[in-house]
Amino acid sequence: MHYRTKEAMTGYLSLLPAFLALGAIVFYPMANTIYHSFTKWNGAEAEWIGLRNYAFIFSNGELWTMLRNNVIFLLSIPGILLLSLVVSVLLFEEVRGWRVFRSLYYIPTILSPVVVGLLMKMMFAQSGVVNRFLHAIGLTDGQTEWLSRAPTAFLVLLFCFYWQTLGQGALIFLSGLSSVPPDMYEAASIDGAGWWQRLLRITMPSLVPTIVYFTVTNAIYCFIGLFSLVYAVTQGGPGRETTPIDYMIYIKAFQSPGQLGYASALSVLLFAIVLLVSWAQIRLSNRFEP
Amino acid sequence: MTNRKTLSVRLIITFALVAIAVVDVYPIVYMAVNSSRTAVDFFQRPGGLPSPWNFDNFKALYYRFDVLRLFGNTLIGSAAAFALAMALSVPAAFAFAKIRFPLRQSLYMTVIATMTIPGITFVVPNFLLFSRLGLVDRLVSVIVLWAITSVPSNIFLLAAIMRGIPNELLEAGKVDGIGYVRTLLRLVVPLSAPGMLTLAIFNATGWWNDLFTPLIFLQSDELKTMTVAVATILKRFDTDYPLLLAGLFMTSIPPIAIYVALQKYMKKGLVIGSVK
Repeated sequence: MHYRTKEAMTGYLSLLPAFLALGAIVFYPMANTIYHSFTKWNGAEAEWIGLRNYAFIFSNGELWTMLRNNVIFLLSIPGILLLSLVVSVLLFEEVRGWRVFRSLYYIPTILSPVVVGLLMKMMFAQSGVVNRFLHAIGLTDGQTEWLSRAPTAFLVLLFCFYWQTLGQGALIFLSGLSSVPPDMYEAASIDGAGWWQRLLRITMPSLVPTIVYFTVTNAIYCFIGLFSLVYAVTQGGPGRETTPIDYMIYIKAFQSPGQLGYASALSVLLFAIVLLVSWAQIRLSNRFEP
Repeated sequence: MTNRKTLSVRLIITFALVAIAVVDVYPIVYMAVNSSRTAVDFFQRPGGLPSPWNFDNFKALYYRFDVLRLFGNTLIGSAAAFALAMALSVPAAFAFAKIRFPLRQSLYMTVIATMTIPGITFVVPNFLLFSRLGLVDRLVSVIVLWAITSVPSNIFLLAAIMRGIPNELLEAGKVDGIGYVRTLLRLVVPLSAPGMLTLAIFNATGWWNDLFTPLIFLQSDELKTMTVAVATILKRFDTDYPLLLAGLFMTSIPPIAIYVALQKYMKKGLVIGSVK
């Protein structure tokens, strides 16, 4: 065999196992989901009903509640972004013991959202430590039922989200800060630039790629990563008030008999949203390419 | 930007860092301390320290909930899944990094694009397929799903690592006449070993912490992974806060231990992709 052909054959054969596996476990089932999103399906028999699942999604009102729930998380990203940036700038000052702080901050990030959720659920219980603390400092009467109303339930969920994301954010931005060449700061100092000027003119612009990365990965997380946290803390309640799309797919697929077609249509919708966010990422990171 | 701050500014910064550290660490200390007391003691004085310290909850986890078995399930599952994931990813990553063939770039983009498909969108057909094959409620279903869904990101990171292997080394191997399999096993794998360790840490902690796949595919209590067991079995006892906290604490120990022991490798992995 010709040398080039032989090398190409080696290449294709190297890829074959991975592609066969992905074909069986990802590509085929994905196509299967798309097909079944146009059917009424109970797992055994599927009846073609065209776009009716999609029409139902857009007309039954549930979609707007779910999207609202995802968007609430999405809108909380600037807050955690800012917080992570501030913490990383503080760490970058390298006060005594900053390495210890950096390590401590990362611990919540490595825990399972399930552990974090159940732990916080206990701490935010009616007789829990959070209520006692708020009562002790005189902010509330200490009787708040955090999880029985949507706004406060969201506060608990967002607190978990922030608590877990801060360490990751601080670490990512810290390495972004370290990659700024030190002589840029020196040159700026010689030119008489103060701390704030250096922060806004040098530090922030060079962090833009990292900010884009952080924002997009967390935006995707807000659509596909909330399942475990919601499962642990609120189970989507009260009612459906804290149910994001991925949790709804789980409810429809595994807890409501005969709604697999509807769950499939929701899955396709979620996939489309994630594609959109990823596409935005590619566009944004191209624009900010140095 | 460093070392030119006045003492007062440094004190304010330190104070802020300490405040954040308290918010980060207090819940973990709360979990550890309150897991070592009885439920009665907990409800009488929820804020204080246990009196006396009581480790019955851990005994209960051991005898009644067979916590070692739950740990074992997760360990066996993760180890098998990582072996399978590497068996599939190493040759593919090597091909993308070092072998030239038509359509290489488009096939690579296909793999990368696969990373964006949310797991929940294709779980139903897989569940039906696995139940037809009689694999639901068997650990092997979780192993296969963990392994294969991790293949795209593993290929992505392994290919990045393997591009750094000097071509001269591979050429020299060719001159010596060692075949494809031996090139992979004797040259490529050892040279990528540090990177593979990072991947092992990230995959294993991800799987240890995973709820979704084992929740759906494993139903018998004795087959569950630790995280799922805490979320399902222990949650039935959710009025016994200290018992549940003991379960949460034990679930947290492995990731924290891995982090403390292997920090160096984790930092490297976390930052891959975020900074140029």
